[in-house]
Amino acid sequence: MRLGFAQAIRKGTNHEGDLCAYCCTGRTAWGCGVARFLFWRVVQAVVVIFVVTVVVFFLLHQIPGGPARGILGIQATEDQIQAFEHEQGFDQPVPIQYLHYLGRLLQGDLGESFQLNQSVADLIGQRLPKTLVLTVLSTLVALLVAIPLGVWQAVRRNRPTDYLLSALTLLIYSTPVFLVGFVFIIVFAINAAWFPVEAPQADTLGGIFADSQALVLPVLTGAGVVLAVFSRYLRSSVVDNLDEDYVRTARAKGASETRIVTRHVLKNSLTSLVAMLGYYLPVLFSGALVTEKLFNYPGMGLLFWNAAQTSDFPILLGVVLVISLATVTGSLLADVAQALIDPRTRRVKA
Amino acid sequence: MLGYDHLSITFGDVEATKEVSFEVKPGEVVAVVGESGSGKSVTAMSALGLLPRKAKVTGRIMLGGRDVRGLSGKELRELRGNEIAMVFQEPMTALNPVHTIGWQLAEAITLHRADRKGGVPDPKQKAVELLRMVGLDRPEHRLKQYPHELSGGMRQRVMIAMAIACDPKVIIADEPTTALDVTVQAEILDLLRELRDRLGTAIVLITHSMGVVADLADRVVVMYRGAVVETGGVDDVLLRPSHDYTKRLLKAVPRLGSGARQAEDVVEPVLSVRNLVVSFGGQRAVDDISFQIGKGEVVGLVGESGSGKTTAGRCTVGLQKPTDGSVELFGQDIAKLSARKMRPLTARIGMIFQDPASSLDPRMTIAECVAEPLVLHKAKDHRKRVDELLDAVELGAATRDRYPHELSGGQRQRVSIARALALNPDLLIADEPTSALDVSVQASILELFLDLQRRLKFSCLFISHDLAVVDMLANRVVVMHRGKIVEQGSRADVFGAPREDYTRRLLAAAPVPDPVEQRERRASRG
Repeated sequence: MRLGFAQAIRKGTNHEGDLCAYCCTGRTAWGCGVARFLFWRVVQAVVVIFVVTVVVFFLLHQIPGGPARGILGIQATEDQIQAFEHEQGFDQPVPIQYLHYLGRLLQGDLGESFQLNQSVADLIGQRLPKTLVLTVLSTLVALLVAIPLGVWQAVRRNRPTDYLLSALTLLIYSTPVFLVGFVFIIVFAINAAWFPVEAPQADTLGGIFADSQALVLPVLTGAGVVLAVFSRYLRSSVVDNLDEDYVRTARAKGASETRIVTRHVLKNSLTSLVAMLGYYLPVLFSGALVTEKLFNYPGMGLLFWNAAQTSDFPILLGVVLVISLATVTGSLLADVAQALIDPRTRRVKA
Repeated sequence: MLGYDHLSITFGDVEATKEVSFEVKPGEVVAVVGESGSGKSVTAMSALGLLPRKAKVTGRIMLGGRDVRGLSGKELRELRGNEIAMVFQEPMTALNPVHTIGWQLAEAITLHRADRKGGVPDPKQKAVELLRMVGLDRPEHRLKQYPHELSGGMRQRVMIAMAIACDPKVIIADEPTTALDVTVQAEILDLLRELRDRLGTAIVLITHSMGVVADLADRVVVMYRGAVVETGGVDDVLLRPSHDYTKRLLKAVPRLGSGARQAEDVVEPVLSVRNLVVSFGGQRAVDDISFQIGKGEVVGLVGESGSGKTTAGRCTVGLQKPTDGSVELFGQDIAKLSARKMRPLTARIGMIFQDPASSLDPRMTIAECVAEPLVLHKAKDHRKRVDELLDAVELGAATRDRYPHELSGGQRQRVSIARALALNPDLLIADEPTSALDVSVQASILELFLDLQRRLKFSCLFISHDLAVVDMLANRVVVMHRGKIVEQGSRADVFGAPREDYTRRLLAAAPVPDPVEQRERRASRG
């Protein structure tokens, strides 16, 4: 039988014999469907990233004053500024500048920082791992708290404790990150003095891990960004699943409530949570920007923040590019992860 | 084995069951029949202690000498699946989609391992044995599969395998075949009968289908509005009912062979379908079918799920684009018509769908629903016409300003009929219009439909999986199977003297609500 892509994905594993409806290579509908799916997702990603660079590039050039004043300082004369602008090509029309930028970008050149005298690629290369450490740790902490919390609330749904926790997570959810961070600093670093005010400053990842005590508050702040989202999402997913017929079947088999939640419902609910993780990658990243500034953590967020203060265009563009790349890969990973976890879309090797 | 003693269950102010008492002996099949809301499912669930927390229960539920109501949570869990097991209606949603068949069977086996005396079975080996017992081929392979990879009938077999995993003394089967096609239904009923004979399990069969009762039950308990109105042997209850409600219920069941309508040659076809093909992504849902509907004629289109009957119906009114072939309405090929030229044709067609709850706009009043086609086709004097229509479908003027959710299922389907007839159509397409309704409601809707059709003389394509319903209404019958037409002809020929093997199998599989006849049919089916 020949199948279209959507049908092939939906029918999934058990139809190895079905052929693709659109090509004549004799591939199976499933294999061909996945190949086409990935192809279009990559095309989509490239288009998205291109549009993002265009928008950001043109917006940056609308900023009054421009980078020259920021770099040369208020003492610089008009002549010095014009010389700098000519040297950097800023006196050309913006579209031409963009084409130059794009040309270099396609060769893998992100440009040089105006301020730091380093290539943007190098800077991002140094800072990105640190941001990843912060983001991954924050996410893990958020999940470790959110999963039990969400499940517990779902099991005890519509009781006073559930309402209280829902109100609490809603409060965290609606509090801006910088406020959460400030509260942590005041309470745990200044008043209680359990943790240092500043994040680890080491250059290497090893050094950052060695100063783990200083890492606690930034990680907790980062976790606060998504914890509430995850736990509320999981709560509603578990509540929905507990109403499903298969739960009734499990009960009729004699399974205990604990077993029903841990073995039956959680697997169904986590499937969709994993997918959500991918979509929250950009949120985690932008949360890191604020967290890093707040704790002076030398990651990509702080780099971006400082660059924004001095109109260091190449850095700003480079970081935006990395974040948009992360966004599109995040949503792609989310789709792939869900397809892999959910047996209804997974391919089992025969 | 299992006994209900004056069981009353209330939810808030609603009495779900009133003083229900009956017993089930070992090796006996007791059918609990009743229409929706009769309290039959609630009664069954109570034996496993699976009622929602807000339910208030009085009376006793005795299982093997113990009152289920006095048991602790732990004791109940030991009971469930071990002494009393359940088979649910919808085997797709009743199985966990993210666990394999093997995992779910193993769970049923191992959950009660501690309670077993003697040898502990190896779960995998036992699971294979169970699947073999319920007649699934390649059991080792099935263990690794997920529920979505099996057909409806196979899933129901897995459900049954799970229920017999711990050799329970009682199995409660809640509408075990309602979601299945008749031929599959016949197989599942045979399986349950065989298991009862082999294992001596008592079976409580909850169903609304009198045919299923006649096929499987030894004794029958008839429930109506939460109370038991009649109990007795299957022959007594079905052939010599004593309570009025049972009599009415049985009278309402459509029977094969009760049809009387004759077919005439098609002279002036309202609808001509020629070599119609519809493919979805290379798969042929409708495969080269041709049929005609004459003026004033009712044609029944029958087939099981996936046979392509609904897709074919959608093509005839232009809701689905054919891949190949032609559809002629009132002598015009609809493929050649522009959307604007198509409009006057659609005004001459009425449609009725299966589920009136979802095909009526919840935010429109009944009068607005019925008037909608009149407005769309700019007819005059809506108000009078709506009143006429509501009157024709025997709904009082009081329903005019009500909303669909305020009406019962049967009333809603009457509204759908009124809407379909609003423009005095020459052709009516009815897709399973009564399959979501209780039998007594179905009977009144069918009677209404017959009466209207005789009076207004519209042609009709009546799509249904229920042969008895089609037998009652149709002049001619078209039988579809896997996208193809296997047989078509006059009602009397197709149902009385079927030529094709598939038609014969379909007719043999549909259970009749007469236990004596059903026994003969089963015997002849072999």
